[in-house]
Amino acid sequence: MAIDMSQFYQVFFDESAEHLAAMEALLLDLDVANPEAEQLNAIFRAAHSIKGSAGTFGFTDLAETTHILENLLDRIRKQELGLRPDMVDAFLESGDLLRSMLEAHQGRGTVDSRAVQGICARLRQLSDGPGGTPAAPRTARVAPPVPAPVPSGGPAAPVVTPSVSEPAAEPPPACRHSFGIEFVPTEVSAQGDGVERLLEELRSHGELEVLSRPDAEDHGVGFWKLRLTTAVAPDDFSEAIDFIAENGAWRVAEEALVEVGGTAADFGFFPDAPGAPEETEGYGFFVPLTAPADTPAVSVAGDEGYGFFDPPPAVSAPEAEPEAGYGFFEPLPPATVSAEAQVPAPADEGEGYGFFVPLPAPPVEVAPVVAPQPPPPPAGGGKAAGRAAVDSSIRVSVEKVDQLINLVGELVITQAMLLQTATQMGEAAPERLLGGIVQLERNTRDLQESVMSIRMLPISFVFSRFPRVVRDLSAKLGKQVELKTSGEATELDKGLIERIADPLTHLIRNSLDHGIESPERRVAAGKRPVGTITLKASHQGGNIVIEVGDDGAGLPRQKILAKARERGLAVSEQMSDQEVFSLIFEAGFSTAEQVTDVSGRGVGMDVVRRNIQALGGRIEIESMLGVGTRMTVRLPLTLAILDGMSVAVGDQTYILPLSYVIESLQPQADDIRTLANQGRVIQVRGEYLPVVVLHELFGLPSAWADFTEGIMVVIGADGGKAALFVDALLGQHQVVIKSLEANYRRVPGISGATIMGDGHVALILDVPAVAGMARAKGQKAG
Amino acid sequence: MEVRTQGSAAVPDEDLVACEYLTFTLGSEEYAIDILKVQEIRGYEPPTLIAQAPPFIKGVINLRGTIVPVVDLRIKFQLGKVEYTPFTVVIILNVAGRVIGAVVDSVSDVISLNQAQIRPAPEFSGSFDTKYIVGLAAQEDRMMIVTDIERLMASAEMELIDDAAAST
Repeated sequence: MAIDMSQFYQVFFDESAEHLAAMEALLLDLDVANPEAEQLNAIFRAAHSIKGSAGTFGFTDLAETTHILENLLDRIRKQELGLRPDMVDAFLESGDLLRSMLEAHQGRGTVDSRAVQGICARLRQLSDGPGGTPAAPRTARVAPPVPAPVPSGGPAAPVVTPSVSEPAAEPPPACRHSFGIEFVPTEVSAQGDGVERLLEELRSHGELEVLSRPDAEDHGVGFWKLRLTTAVAPDDFSEAIDFIAENGAWRVAEEALVEVGGTAADFGFFPDAPGAPEETEGYGFFVPLTAPADTPAVSVAGDEGYGFFDPPPAVSAPEAEPEAGYGFFEPLPPATVSAEAQVPAPADEGEGYGFFVPLPAPPVEVAPVVAPQPPPPPAGGGKAAGRAAVDSSIRVSVEKVDQLINLVGELVITQAMLLQTATQMGEAAPERLLGGIVQLERNTRDLQESVMSIRMLPISFVFSRFPRVVRDLSAKLGKQVELKTSGEATELDKGLIERIADPLTHLIRNSLDHGIESPERRVAAGKRPVGTITLKASHQGGNIVIEVGDDGAGLPRQKILAKARERGLAVSEQMSDQEVFSLIFEAGFSTAEQVTDVSGRGVGMDVVRRNIQALGGRIEIESMLGVGTRMTVRLPLTLAILDGMSVAVGDQTYILPLSYVIESLQPQADDIRTLANQGRVIQVRGEYLPVVVLHELFGLPSAWADFTEGIMVVIGADGGKAALFVDALLGQHQVVIKSLEANYRRVPGISGATIMGDGHVALILDVPAVAGMARAKGQKAG
Repeated sequence: MEVRTQGSAAVPDEDLVACEYLTFTLGSEEYAIDILKVQEIRGYEPPTLIAQAPPFIKGVINLRGTIVPVVDLRIKFQLGKVEYTPFTVVIILNVAGRVIGAVVDSVSDVISLNQAQIRPAPEFSGSFDTKYIVGLAAQEDRMMIVTDIERLMASAEMELIDDAAAST
């Protein structure tokens, strides 16, 4: 049976990308001088997980590179090597390379094989460096068991929580134990070379005996039984077994203490409670040993998994908790005991499918012990059960979510239509109908909110990449910079998250390169040598506000003005600071004295502004010479919904995005003046604003001949203001943005369309464009 | 699609494959378009106007949540009387990956034509460029203008699609 491995690839790619991201975050967080053991372990686990699954899926290049990485990490966490900053650099770099390898496997981009070899050599060199012997002889040592397992989600690798309590003390190094290992590999790994790899890895730990293997016609899918005599703790290889084994269908049991070089028979597992399993999660499988009673069993519990058991050589008393588990057990020898399960029928409380029979022999001291009797088919039922064992989140493609959002949008419109119809019926409408419609309205609103929240992600997805950017760049520029972030939990639309990352990166690079001064200059200016870049996200009204601030030199107004004049831009001394600073967003504008590979070519800031505007946002600069600069990016919460004000022009309805609306007023006859008999201006609290007459612009008949009968809506766009003349204000709505371009073409002055409650289409005004059109018209006329 | 078995061996096979066509009238002329391009037929409802659009683009309507532009072919080709009655119909077309509505005088019926029945149209000049005409088909005493509706709707002169050819 040919298995299409590729169906699991996406899971692997997603998981590996997450592991890499976690690894990077941990590395950046690491205190090089005094690393915490738990952090090192977590980094090691991330690398190990990538290696394991890469091997299973046959991505050998990934597996090899992570293997070298892992070796070095292993030595560091065992404190054989001291952590040095250059190691962290090498780790980060290899993380980048692994990411590009992953991308290459997904068909995006290529991998620089020289760079890969380079980093491998560097890692090896670091690993073989001071500290003695090369990293190979893991067998000679007993590694401290990893206190917590790698939580690797997804169906391919169920979460496994070994119920091994943390050892009280470092186990004596010379103990060699004999472990009985039993597992059933997944079909995927059995048909690949997963099992062979596992055997190899196990051999590297000690002497391996294959006691039984499945029949040849099963292609290795079946029951494997091994005996490993080794000095390492079972945690070191149990993870590897878990990767290969069918969801949870594996077991490592301590069989005998082969040689004890140290002091006692106590080797660190369950020093206090032999045989007592974790009471709360999962179930343990216990193997009372032929060895003396004070030698406890190593038991591994599959949390929410299911185990598949063969009669262990020793007397065994597997204990299962039927709450969430699916246990399939081979018949046990008669000596096996059961404490509680006296019912022959399947225990059907919880989700457990177990088959339990009372057993003759007296129980051991463990609490509810069940010994299931009939041997079920090994693979069949197990697969479906494994699917049920998932973690609390699911991966769903964005298209599905978008489809859901569209459908809910439709529902909202239908609901509004119903409501309107019912309102028109007036007295004739049955009360129950009205009640139902009110209920429907509430439900649809809730539904819409929850569906929209699916697309919302915390901005930490973007922020998390910046510590790295700042670190790399400040090292390159020889500056000392500290990055402070706040408001990482602020949520915004996934579409925005993806598209805001590049502009933000650019702003940060810009602050680092141009804003923060070199340490000497900072000291000379009486500042701390370490510069600070602050990254702040918050909600303000219907907007997301992201601030990128620095305590650097600030923007030199005179220099910008001089540069602008040089470039032939129309500038004057009378311009406000705001206007002067926004000149840096002009294409090709740079005041940098020298072009570096970081910035200074003058491309970028214009792109930043364009990208942000394309997202429906805007950017503002505040700066004070010598004190610092702050760039504020304002973005709408989502791209799909817009807060709008509906206005009537003639018999048409238009939507004005609320973010542009400043105020609206009914003009007095003497407020409106003409300029040179063509342009019109309106005086609003001492300010003269150009008037844009919407019905003239769009060639529509207006209900009013006189300005005083209509409404002026003051809009702010691109730093300027204008007054938009409309017939009437209709209301304020949240509208679902629909594309006009999907079936038609771009229309100047219109950014999209939406469907109103009555089912009619209303067009959404592109306010900056409308203001621009009016200006162009005025110039043409003049 | 049904294959008609007519005796003549001289006729290539593809000529015998019949396609179904939807016929509609514009003024006194009868047009036929490939029925596979037609999504649905619905009554006319006043659309939302689009500023600065050519007069034959009536505006956009809401077709179950999709914004669909509506073209009045009668205005475009100066045929028939432009009036909107309860009987005015809009043919919703699915062409070039887009949904477009076309206003016509009336929809007649669905006919089956094979390639052999479609005769090449004579060259003539007029508002309706002959490059959009596949040919002329006669059935009983009716003459139908078989139109390549996809090509017509995607053309720059319809101003429906943003591309290099469109005047923007």
